[in-house]
Amino acid sequence: MSNPIVSTQSLTKVYGQGAAAVRALDGVNLTIQPGEFVAVMGPSGCGKSTLLHLIGGLDRPTSGTVWLDGQDLTQLNDDQVTAIRRKKMGFIFQFFNLIPVLNALENAALPMILDGMRPAEARKRAQEWLERVGLGHRLTHRPSELSGGEQQRVAIARALASDPALILADEPTGNLDSRASEEIAGLLRQISSTWERTILMVTHDARIAAYADRIVFLKDGKIVDETVLEHRNGEQAEMVADKMKEIGD
Amino acid sequence: MNLYLTLAFRYLGGRKLRTALTTLAIVFGVMVIFGMNTYMPTFIKTFQTQAKAAAGQVDLTITQKTGEAFDPTVLNQIRAVDGVTVATGSLERLINLPANYVDGNPGTPDRITAVILKGIVPQEARQMIAYNIVEGRFLEEGDTRAAVITRSLAREFGIGLGDTLTLPTAIGLSDLTVVGILPEQILPGNEVVLVSLAEAQRLTNMPGKINIVDANLDSMEEARRNEIQQNVLKAIGDAYKIGALEAGSEILTNIRNAQSIFNLMGFLALVMGGFIIFNTFRTIIAERRRDIGMLRALGASRRTIRWLILTEGLIQGVIGTALGLVLGYLFGAFTLNLVTPMMQEFLNITVSTPAISPALVLTSILLGVGITVLSGLIPANSATRITPLEALRPSLGNVSFKRIAGISFWAGVVLLTIAVGFLFTGSMEWLGLGALLFVGAIILMAPALVNPISILFASLLTLLFARDGTAQLAEGNLSRQPGRATVTASTTMIALAVVVMMAGVLSSVSLTFIHVMEKSLGSDYLIMPPTLAVWGSNTGAAPQLADDLRRVPGVTVVSTLRFAGTQMKDIAVGILGIEPQSYRELDLLSFTRGDPEAVYRAMENERVMIINGVLAAAAGIQPGDEVEVLTPMGKQTYRVAAVATDYLNAKTTTAYISQRFIEEDFGREEDIFFQINVAPDADRQAVESAFSAILKDYPQFKLVDGKKYVEENARLFDAVFLGMYVLAAFLAIPSLIAMVNTLAIGVIERTREIGMLRAVGAIRRQVRRMILSEALILSAIGTAFGILAGLYMGYMGVKAFEAMGYPMDYIFPGSGILAAVAIGILFGALAAVVPARQAARLDVVEALRYE
Ligand SMILES: Nc1ncnc2c1ncn2[C@@H]1O[C@H](COP(=O)(O)OP(=O)(O)OP(=O)(O)O)[C@@H](O)[C@H]1O
Ligand SMILES: [Mg+2]
Repeated sequence: MSNPIVSTQSLTKVYGQGAAAVRALDGVNLTIQPGEFVAVMGPSGCGKSTLLHLIGGLDRPTSGTVWLDGQDLTQLNDDQVTAIRRKKMGFIFQFFNLIPVLNALENAALPMILDGMRPAEARKRAQEWLERVGLGHRLTHRPSELSGGEQQRVAIARALASDPALILADEPTGNLDSRASEEIAGLLRQISSTWERTILMVTHDARIAAYADRIVFLKDGKIVDETVLEHRNGEQAEMVADKMKEIGD
Repeated sequence: MNLYLTLAFRYLGGRKLRTALTTLAIVFGVMVIFGMNTYMPTFIKTFQTQAKAAAGQVDLTITQKTGEAFDPTVLNQIRAVDGVTVATGSLERLINLPANYVDGNPGTPDRITAVILKGIVPQEARQMIAYNIVEGRFLEEGDTRAAVITRSLAREFGIGLGDTLTLPTAIGLSDLTVVGILPEQILPGNEVVLVSLAEAQRLTNMPGKINIVDANLDSMEEARRNEIQQNVLKAIGDAYKIGALEAGSEILTNIRNAQSIFNLMGFLALVMGGFIIFNTFRTIIAERRRDIGMLRALGASRRTIRWLILTEGLIQGVIGTALGLVLGYLFGAFTLNLVTPMMQEFLNITVSTPAISPALVLTSILLGVGITVLSGLIPANSATRITPLEALRPSLGNVSFKRIAGISFWAGVVLLTIAVGFLFTGSMEWLGLGALLFVGAIILMAPALVNPISILFASLLTLLFARDGTAQLAEGNLSRQPGRATVTASTTMIALAVVVMMAGVLSSVSLTFIHVMEKSLGSDYLIMPPTLAVWGSNTGAAPQLADDLRRVPGVTVVSTLRFAGTQMKDIAVGILGIEPQSYRELDLLSFTRGDPEAVYRAMENERVMIINGVLAAAAGIQPGDEVEVLTPMGKQTYRVAAVATDYLNAKTTTAYISQRFIEEDFGREEDIFFQINVAPDADRQAVESAFSAILKDYPQFKLVDGKKYVEENARLFDAVFLGMYVLAAFLAIPSLIAMVNTLAIGVIERTREIGMLRAVGAIRRQVRRMILSEALILSAIGTAFGILAGLYMGYMGVKAFEAMGYPMDYIFPGSGILAAVAIGILFGALAAVVPARQAARLDVVEALRYE
């Protein structure tokens, strides 16, 4: 078995102090292999986003470690973590994904330009990916001129274009109607199967989670269950929804 | 294009109005500094070339430090010094020509407005300088009424060899025959009319005097020449200096004062521009918290974020500075055009087009761009502290400018105390620094004061509006975010401070000056030479003229002025000889210290002088002091008895002594200015035509109706002050708009919150009122502080004028304060109208989805 891309050990995050302290994550051990598509599910406030932020180096844990591609993120300073985000990670969020003053092409090229790639080269790669996600005809549109689904596709193209080791997505379909949601989920599936990228996705929508290889269930900051899916094309959504109900109770 | 530039231009372009307005402040500052410094030195230079006699090609030129004429015996002392081969004395005098004297055509200004009359000893002079006669002959011993002029001067006057050249002189219009022609004058400076020394002494009414010694030395070697120069100075004493005559050096002090005032203004404008930019950047960063967080999440380092913000500042700085440079040049040229007629009238000089110095361009660029970037630095740094998480988590709009109210408040109090303390120093520099400290203090103290003040105003508003809780809500909104409230309120503060300050300074200056002017020029008639205040360059008249004027029926008093240049404590001073008796009768001087009656009486028989404020400040002398005055006959001690000024000399270092002593000590009997009163029942027409007849022989003088002159000047003043108010508006408007902007942003930021209010049942009117109350509270805070700051700065401005020696009465700017309150409330309400409508119209569902 190859080295895991992500591996956390007793990852813990506590917000606030004293009586007001909230244990958002409590000793989470999670390992993700290269090429895996993992979904994290759980009731609201269980710590899903917190987990994603810690793995993405956007926040620091209270205790425990995060290994990413062989490096311990908790040992690095801000500039070093930032460089890793730039080179090894792609982010897709629910809101505010794009910089409003840049057009689709420029937004998709942004991480590569930040990393010092020649703008022409960055644009070429961004354009290829925008075409792959079906936005070849919207290259020069600004975010305000795109629909919610289209905006998410730009974010996906951006997350992929820099060829990152890990793609992190927090509720990527949370803002979309069910049809657009399924389209985005299908696209993520394609990214995993066809383009063999590693994906960690947070969602509370069983229909979307059912596109993943494996689902991790989180409750009160702890991993309480795990399911490996056979079909991975959304067909097992009902089974996933049942599991969620179980945990919620 | 580079990412920084792309983003910066896009963001700036997205807010065109705001960008334009913030940049305007920088444009303005650079414009004033660059414009003034381009044009002032040009003016000074023109003035100096004009004043300086064309220096010949001799080894050594020696003049009296006072610029006055002296006895030729000095020549023998100089000749006796080892190493001096030849030395010759001459008498040089600038003759200002009346307007249109040369071409007689009022349509076109004369190219030549003055000539230098130079009396030489022909034999000796030719030994020193090889005069190249192209036509006719050189001057000879015993020539009378003969002159040698250049070909260019001959052409201007349209005369040739053997023709007559008529010049206005101290003994009236005098004819000279042109006996020789020199080549064209190529160098800048005045044309010279060469006559024999005796002739010059006769025409200038200075018998037996010279004012310049030219000498040649026996060595070309630097060290040896220095040694000889030192020996010459030793031989003749320290009343003399090496170097050509310089007339009007006393007015240069005044020009430099003006220059530093303008520089201070420009600098203040830039500092204000910096402050506006600082505020704008703080809002920009609050606005873009999410974008910045997103960039951080995508891997932009802190340095990248800092540079993104600084690049925006840089672009604004560069564009603002570039525009400022262009406008400054145009502004300089425009001002020049505006003042040229005045210059010609009062100083009889024509100023050439301004020359741009690379050093000045560089300084302006450094200041303009530097201040912009500097102002962006703190906000840029706070932007780097935005975490990526801010992009991801819908937060409730906390502005990240946490302030330690305690420390900064007390720091502010300390600064304030120091600033007020500076008021008592009476020194220009300290006062300027005090103004900056004062503004800084208020900015530091404001956040701590926002709470109590907003509670106060909220209770006032509660009285105004029905008790529906909106005012309390508004107050709560403000005290929750003292940072943002401070930003908005301090922008208003700056804008209004400028209005109040300008009102204070301008009303004080204009009233004081008009008062002094009415007093000192209030005679029925004035007879004025071509240049006022630069008396030394005028050709006056022998006492005969005054006597003739006194004999005109109906004339009651003729008071004359005589002039001599001197030095006191190494400062160039203009000495005015007055008739104490008539000055007292006409009450021409405005006294700030000393008893007029006693002083005028003492002046008659003692060496007693009245000094003006500028001189008192520049030389640090006071009534009661004894001062040493350089005269052509050596040093004399005068007792200073009072400080007083008149209008024309208020700006130049001036001392008044009686005509008896100006004659005894300076050998001056030449009248250069006349003030005449006539009996109330006199036939004005007859008097005026009698004056005109007498003045026919003295075309250098102009007869002016005193009342009309004062009125004309008052109008000129009004025009200048109107211009100043426009400048104040220039300064105030950008910050007022910035206030509207910050307020609007405050509302947009809270869209969701307002949606909630509506959802839980607030009606539109309540929302509208909440926003309006908020705006009014903010502008009230800003106005209160603005008025305070403006009063301080205005008082400081008046003190600064006083420190420079101008007589000043502080006038409380009541109307300025009213204007500030009106503007404050108006703009506060204006700033609220659009956002309040928007907020009230808000679709509740939309607002809740907004994020
Ligand atoms: N900055 C913060 N300060 C204090 N508590 C926080 C902070 N961020 C999150 N929490 C708390 O930590 C817990 C986990 O939050 P997290 O955002 O990870 O939940 P989540 O699983 O993503 O929920 P959701 O599905 O609603 O997005 C919650 O109880 C939340 O209140
Ligand atoms: Mg979440």
